[in-house]
Amino acid sequence: MAKKFYLTKEGLERVKKEYEELKKLKQIKTSGEKPEILHSEDLNPEYLAMQEDLMFLDFRLRELENILKNVQLIKPPPKEKRNVVDLGAKVTLEDEEGKINEFMIVESLEANPSEGKISYESPVGKALLGRKIGEKVTIVSPIKVVYKIKKIKYQLD
Amino acid sequence: MDSILRFLVEVNKLKETIRTGWIIWRVKNPETIAEHIFRVSFLTYCLGWKKGLNLKRAIQCALSHDLCEVYAGDVTPLFYYENLDVRKKRDREILMKGIRLSKEEKEKMSKIKFENERKSLLKLIQPLKENLRNEIFFRWLDYEKGFSAEGKFTRQVDWIENLIQSLEYLGPKKSGRGWWEIAEEKIFDPLLLEFLKVIQIKFYHRKTFPKSTQEKELKGILEFILKIGKLKRMERTYWKAWGIKNAESVAEHIFFTSLLAWIFGREKKHLNQTKLLKMALSHEISAVIIGDTIPYIEKLPSQIKKRKEILKKWPRLPEYEKAKRFLRQYNKEKKAMEKLTLSLEPGLRKEIISLWEEYRKVSSAEAIFLNQVNVLAVLIQGVLYHKKYKITLTPLFEWAFEKCDDPILLSFLEKLSKL
Repeated sequence: MAKKFYLTKEGLERVKKEYEELKKLKQIKTSGEKPEILHSEDLNPEYLAMQEDLMFLDFRLRELENILKNVQLIKPPPKEKRNVVDLGAKVTLEDEEGKINEFMIVESLEANPSEGKISYESPVGKALLGRKIGEKVTIVSPIKVVYKIKKIKYQLD
Repeated sequence: MDSILRFLVEVNKLKETIRTGWIIWRVKNPETIAEHIFRVSFLTYCLGWKKGLNLKRAIQCALSHDLCEVYAGDVTPLFYYENLDVRKKRDREILMKGIRLSKEEKEKMSKIKFENERKSLLKLIQPLKENLRNEIFFRWLDYEKGFSAEGKFTRQVDWIENLIQSLEYLGPKKSGRGWWEIAEEKIFDPLLLEFLKVIQIKFYHRKTFPKSTQEKELKGILEFILKIGKLKRMERTYWKAWGIKNAESVAEHIFFTSLLAWIFGREKKHLNQTKLLKMALSHEISAVIIGDTIPYIEKLPSQIKKRKEILKKWPRLPEYEKAKRFLRQYNKEKKAMEKLTLSLEPGLRKEIISLWEEYRKVSSAEAIFLNQVNVLAVLIQGVLYHKKYKITLTPLFEWAFEKCDDPILLSFLEKLSKL
């Protein structure tokens, strides 16, 4: 079975935008003047570079097509399960000194930890997934970091 | 220890190895080998882009060209002549004046140098798996022997970077003899010969203006490359905040990240390797304008004790605060990128800015991967500083465990945590 990609609405928009931009780029690249295959007696590096570009462009386009075909929008879980961390949850954590930290759990495709969005496949994401409010979570690095889950919030439509 | 880790720890020494030529000339706080490799790689990117070369191959040639110096040291062929010793004043004077040698003598010394460096490189890459070992070795050999257009080109770019650096350190008069002579002797590529002309105009005939479009575009590249040079010896703020003296520079970090992107990226068949390398080279160049920064931390106390207290933990913040600080930093960097690349021709400028943009927004497969490789580059340096200066590693691992989800990189992180 094909792998499902769980994205937020914004994440899906971003993938669609990239797909359209790359399609346009491919059109521009293939419609213009093509470099000669041979340069003197050697293969023309410009030709090779263009072929390589097109190859990766095609690859990325296929990858995005696959995402769009198998995408599933992240929906908030039913009310009784909203106290458990799942994809799309915004989790508020408290460390042992009482400092607050917050993450949103997303697919790798959407992750940007600088903005607080972490992948559910990262060690921190994995440690949080499936845990409930009030539970203590240990993130193991050379020194253990312990957090208490204070709040779990889902964006409701 | 893991074979790649062992290799990287050794390569890291290039960040602390000063280039010998500048010691002879008594240059204060001169560049390291890693910093030289960084600028050769960027210059190769810009000029190779103009030339339409295979940039993956060319940048890899540039990144590997001085790796052998981990063991061989930075040695000019002249050092093999009559056992000259840089520590002796008389010998230094001979080297500074330059020695006129016969073709046979030059060939003999170059041969000895080549053999010495070949053995050193083989020793360095010996722990790596065969296919990676071969790839690095053949890129280096390509640079040395010029088997491909990219190898030939990069070797000449290396001479140009040396020339530019000598003009920056010593000024046009002192640099005039040795470096110009060598450059004029070694460079034969028409584009690079024209670039030499542009360098000459910039440093010797300031009032002469470029005539052709090509000259103008090359002048733009030169202006950009001179600015990029500021990243050499620009110490990274995070290490400086820990009180580390002579810390890793931004240029050294970029070199190391690019090398990591090559080594780990080759396992990822779905990634565009050329794009990955170009993105790695561009990912932190905005520091030329705004200086190096630490994620989320905008201001640190001047007192080292208080500073260390803050640095002990990775910042904990509400999501909106993270997003706000990220956006503020992103906008600052974007403006800096636009200013920094202003002299470049539109196509190249657009490419560098969008690579940086993708990286910062984590908006492509290459950007997702490179963001994690960047964490790894910081962590390797962190682990080495931890051993030497006892800095706390917890915040770096916390950061890494938030950022990384790639299985190959995670397993490497695991090994690193046990080092």
